[in-house]
Amino acid sequence: MSRHLAQRLGQSLLVLLAAFTVAFALLQALPGDAVLIKFLDSTMGLTADQIAELRIAYGADAPLWQQYLHTLGNFLSGEFGYSIRAGVPVARLLAENIPPTLLLASLAFGVASLLAILLAVLSQLGFGWVRGFARSMPPFFVAVPVFWLGIMLIQVFSFQLGLVSVIAPEPWEELILPVLTLAVPISAPLAQVLIRNIDTVLNEPFVAVARAKGATHAWVLWRHVARNALPSTLTMAGVLFGELLGGAVVTETVFGLSGLGGLTQQAVANQDVAVLQAIVVLSAVAFVAISLAVDLLLPLLDPRLAVRPAGAA
Amino acid sequence: MSTTRRNLLAAPAILSVLGAMCARDAFAQAAPVRGGTLIYLEQQTYTNLYPPAGGFYPNGGVLNQITDKLTYQNPQTLEIEPWIAESWTVSADATEYVFRIRPGVTFSDGTPLNAEAVARNFDTFGLGNRELRHPVSEVITNYLRSEVIDPLTVRFHFRAPSPGFLQGTSVIGSGLVSLRTLALPFDQLGDATKIIGSGPFVVARQVLGRELVLNARQDYAWGPKQHPHQGRALLDTIRIIVSGEDSVRIGALLSGQAHVIRQIQAYDEGRVQSRGFQIFAPSTRGVNNSVVFRPDNPLVADIRVRQALRYATNAQEIVDTLFSPNYPRATSIIASTAQGHVNLADRLTYDPRQAVRLLEEAGWTLGPQGVRQKDGRELVLTAYESPPQPRNKDTLQLVAQQWARVGVRLNVLAGDAGSRVVDSLDPAKTPVAPAMVGRADPDVIRSQYHPLTRNALLQTGGVSQRVQSFNDARLNGLLDAIASEPDRAKRLALVGDVQRYVLDQAYVIPIFEEPQVFAAAPRLRGFGFEAVGRPSFYGAWLAAR
Repeated sequence: MSRHLAQRLGQSLLVLLAAFTVAFALLQALPGDAVLIKFLDSTMGLTADQIAELRIAYGADAPLWQQYLHTLGNFLSGEFGYSIRAGVPVARLLAENIPPTLLLASLAFGVASLLAILLAVLSQLGFGWVRGFARSMPPFFVAVPVFWLGIMLIQVFSFQLGLVSVIAPEPWEELILPVLTLAVPISAPLAQVLIRNIDTVLNEPFVAVARAKGATHAWVLWRHVARNALPSTLTMAGVLFGELLGGAVVTETVFGLSGLGGLTQQAVANQDVAVLQAIVVLSAVAFVAISLAVDLLLPLLDPRLAVRPAGAA
Repeated sequence: MSTTRRNLLAAPAILSVLGAMCARDAFAQAAPVRGGTLIYLEQQTYTNLYPPAGGFYPNGGVLNQITDKLTYQNPQTLEIEPWIAESWTVSADATEYVFRIRPGVTFSDGTPLNAEAVARNFDTFGLGNRELRHPVSEVITNYLRSEVIDPLTVRFHFRAPSPGFLQGTSVIGSGLVSLRTLALPFDQLGDATKIIGSGPFVVARQVLGRELVLNARQDYAWGPKQHPHQGRALLDTIRIIVSGEDSVRIGALLSGQAHVIRQIQAYDEGRVQSRGFQIFAPSTRGVNNSVVFRPDNPLVADIRVRQALRYATNAQEIVDTLFSPNYPRATSIIASTAQGHVNLADRLTYDPRQAVRLLEEAGWTLGPQGVRQKDGRELVLTAYESPPQPRNKDTLQLVAQQWARVGVRLNVLAGDAGSRVVDSLDPAKTPVAPAMVGRADPDVIRSQYHPLTRNALLQTGGVSQRVQSFNDARLNGLLDAIASEPDRAKRLALVGDVQRYVLDQAYVIPIFEEPQVFAAAPRLRGFGFEAVGRPSFYGAWLAAR
């Protein structure tokens, strides 16, 4: 088992190194660089000599392998460098943007799950028109542009009705509208998969057997269907949550929130290489850690997946 | 019946307007109110707050509240008046400046703002700091060294005449900061809490990318001598909040969640004004919002082609279609509110027939696709939009439509920042470019066109390695003369010469005089601007509701 663990750890490190290297190569391949963009920016009005001097100071024209090793060394020692655009340490940008992103994503995800479950339940239990309504909601939710939804929510609930403040809000009200805005489109695929799975499972023979034994519809749904419909929904949920972490740019912009999405978008727009490199490596670490944890946990949940010692039958 | 109803409906409206007007007059007479928190919405977050980087509007909006300048450029008269410097003398050849510093001024970290501090600030701005990567300030030319004569007197020496320096000490990029700030590397100056100034407001806290809170400095007693307000700032607190979405900023203003917003689109102005809110559109007083040519590119090397495109450009249509009366049509390459402006509107007429005649004369004949050709080449030009300029993409697209009418195609590209910067340095790729720059001193023209500075026309000898041969010695001679002519009258005459020359050569098509547009709640009073449109909240106050 410990050998397996060592192997998996080794693999994970290789994946991280590969992510770092690919990100570095891609960022270098882009036209221009952060130093050029920052200092050639028309708000500074620097002379050619001054820009050349700054390029030397930043090592912007050093051979690529040197820059690569330098950056790698820094990352290994936990030094992410400075954002050329913002003029603050990258570590600080991450520290200020990750917590609000996690909070927003978790809340939005929670609300989206509730919404999806509600729709799934309605799609099974309600009257004819309720079922139809519940089933037509997911496609509608998917079709609503987040941008428009966010602005409409702000216009109605904040500017017209004055129920919540979006500019300088209190902590309790700050996330209400953004969470709603994000939850609607995220709930749609969840609900869709869930409804679809429930429908499929309801047609399975074992359901008919349970019914034949006299089980009520609700009991069948709860005891048999839900358990079988959930796993693929969870997979879907995992992917969606990942998307939420980096994909809330529009919501962040409309509501003026800080977060990873906006940070990434700004960094991309300005080729702020240090920031981008850190975000890529960070995401890779998160991914690798999660899959490592899953790999190590699965055998505990399902003995069939355990790695048997060599030679065992 | 319907008429009566309409009248009935209109009556309360008229009453409320009258009521509002009366209330306004009452406010106008009321004494300024001290205290309160002002909410100011910015479109973008500030970046690096090294003072010479203050040209970026969001940076200027912060720096103008927390730093003081050596001198004060009166935004009405553009005269240079005392501020941190009580008085000054300039040598006849403008190579030596002596400033007498106002006693008793301190930075917010308690250290004195004395001759020593002023000297270190301008040493950094004038020469840069290689070790700390501080770039040189654009507004200071020919700087040699400083000399502290006594604790309150400082002398600056220049390698060559530098008549623009006095005005240069008044600009946003010359905000004075504590020696502690100057000792920090450039890469750490994006942290507003590290920018220690002597200004009427002090940074209290920040949420990077989202919000900056400024508090009034209680012991502030050194505002510009001629400023209508004296003593500490009236407001207690300013919250500068980033809100990138236009409709959210306007909605927040109209619903009372914010007091001032920056960057309001021309098409939203009417809606804001019709509800009794205020619009402010201070001019940036520099080089107008223009389209510039890169004559190094053979397509626009022929003066007749450039003249033709100038005749084909209908600036009035652009202003009428895309903007509002706050964006006056350009009458020269610099704004009519800029020093030394000469009205050359007669050279900027719209005349498509003349355009066609010139293009034909230059050998460009209409091809089958409606695009002019010569020796098998089509007259197709390319420009990148410039996101910081108001509605720049729309402007360029309208220009493209106008040029298409005389058979010239202009492709307008958005592109990522990297491609834009790299391609904009290459005249072969961008024969046309949008350009503008704000500063209330004739030096601004040199800044814009000289190859050693912004090099808008892309001449040889500048930052671009891609320029083959284009260099206009006559133009550069005029620009250098402006930067070094100590006699004011002669200097302004040179400013006139350069305006005529640039337009005669048709290097530039000026379009409009670029303002900075703000909208504010009716209860905001005393809101002011420095000479190039950066907001000043020093004398601002909020009237009772």
